[in-house]
Amino acid sequence: MIKVESISKSFGSLKVLDNINLNISPGEVVVVIGPSGSGKSTLLRCINYLEKIDDGKIYIDGKLVGKKEINGRLVEAPAKEVYKMRENIGMVFQRFNLFPHMTVLQNITEAPVLVKKVSKQEAFKQALQLLEKVGLDEKANAYPAHLSGGQQQRVAIARALAMEPKIMLFDEPTSALDPELVGEVLAVMKDLAKEGMTMVVVTHEMSFAKEVADRVIFMDEGKIVEEGPPSQIFTNPSHPRTREFLVKIL
Amino acid sequence: MQIIELGKVSNSGVMKVATGFVWDWAFVLKMLPLLLKGAVMTVTLTACAITFGTGIGLIIAFMKIIKNPVLNFIGGIYTWVFRGIPLLVQLFIIYYALPMVLGITLDAFPAAVIGISLCGGAYIAEIIRAGVQSVDKGQMEASMSLGMGYFQAMRRVIVPQTYRRLIPPMGNEFITLLKDTALVSTITMTELTRTAQIYSASHFKPFEMFLTAGVIYLILTTFFTVVFGKLETKLAQSE
Repeated sequence: MIKVESISKSFGSLKVLDNINLNISPGEVVVVIGPSGSGKSTLLRCINYLEKIDDGKIYIDGKLVGKKEINGRLVEAPAKEVYKMRENIGMVFQRFNLFPHMTVLQNITEAPVLVKKVSKQEAFKQALQLLEKVGLDEKANAYPAHLSGGQQQRVAIARALAMEPKIMLFDEPTSALDPELVGEVLAVMKDLAKEGMTMVVVTHEMSFAKEVADRVIFMDEGKIVEEGPPSQIFTNPSHPRTREFLVKIL
Repeated sequence: MQIIELGKVSNSGVMKVATGFVWDWAFVLKMLPLLLKGAVMTVTLTACAITFGTGIGLIIAFMKIIKNPVLNFIGGIYTWVFRGIPLLVQLFIIYYALPMVLGITLDAFPAAVIGISLCGGAYIAEIIRAGVQSVDKGQMEASMSLGMGYFQAMRRVIVPQTYRRLIPPMGNEFITLLKDTALVSTITMTELTRTAQIYSASHFKPFEMFLTAGVIYLILTTFFTVVFGKLETKLAQSE
């Protein structure tokens, strides 16, 4: 479903992604771990082309992301095609990024109405169902500023789901939350995983990775150092750097 | 010669103060209609300058915000020039110098409106640009990740978030524009300042004329202060 083919990306002289290869199948939950600055978030942002790549290719459902092949040469795809591609990929951010001038309901219905031209009525109905799913149906008319961090993040998940994406990307979704609010967000994510959503999750929540991930990827200095099922990565990591990292955070 | 007590107003409307200066109420009243006529011109100039200046400001801000090096450059040059040269000099160039070079002679009114609008536009562009760029980057990313296009995100997500932050600096700028209209008195526009100048000279009553003009300016700028203050509280409530 997602195929990442030897992509590289630099910010100035700093190589943040260094020849990354990755294959993610439908319904798979992949958790990406690693120290800060290891390129985890950048990898995620490249998948939906919020970040351009310097080298390599990314395919979603067999379609090239952000680029076009013309006469064997890769050129930037037109913006419209990139926008269209993003409809299939939901993204949840560390800092929620809800629209502060809109109510919870408007936050969720905005994109389906604006982008997918869904009728307002239908979008409202769907939004209420999604809110019920994330346990916030009574907050439909509240503004983001009046919600706790955990509630905001659950709304952000509902907002992403409203576009009915095939893939969900989570960029440290619980890192900005007070510890007691982390659980409610992870619970929603677990439900999603159970429903068979294809998910790529960058997180420091190792318990979540152990419980939910089909595969754990450890990144360091822009490279995938090691990957495998959580049982293997957490109990018997093969690479010394993985071991070193896990010792520090577990 | 009348004998008047200090601080008291005589039958003829004259008030004496300690320096021997005599404030002439009757003259003020007589001149008030002329000053008000000048004030109407000041308001007209301000209204035109706000309209065109905001229009220019929006266009230049847009050129500076979108990702297009050519437009960015043109927008940058514009603010550099029109913010960097004193308005007074700009007015002189438009009114006195351009006719000699291009052979275009502008009337004082259009010259005044063009001058103030061009200059005000540069400041308004900066206000709008700063307002838009002060919106958290995550807002654009979130919009994009939902499949919105750049302009959809701008229109529905980014720009609406700037309204409240734009109110105080825009109020400031409108007040500045109003006061800057005084400068066009130098290119023969008979607005409030020039009216005061003309009659203070002919009757040798500068204090009465300029103080009254000052009070009229104060009333006009207070209008903006009050309106923008109200707008600010109203938008604050809706958030």
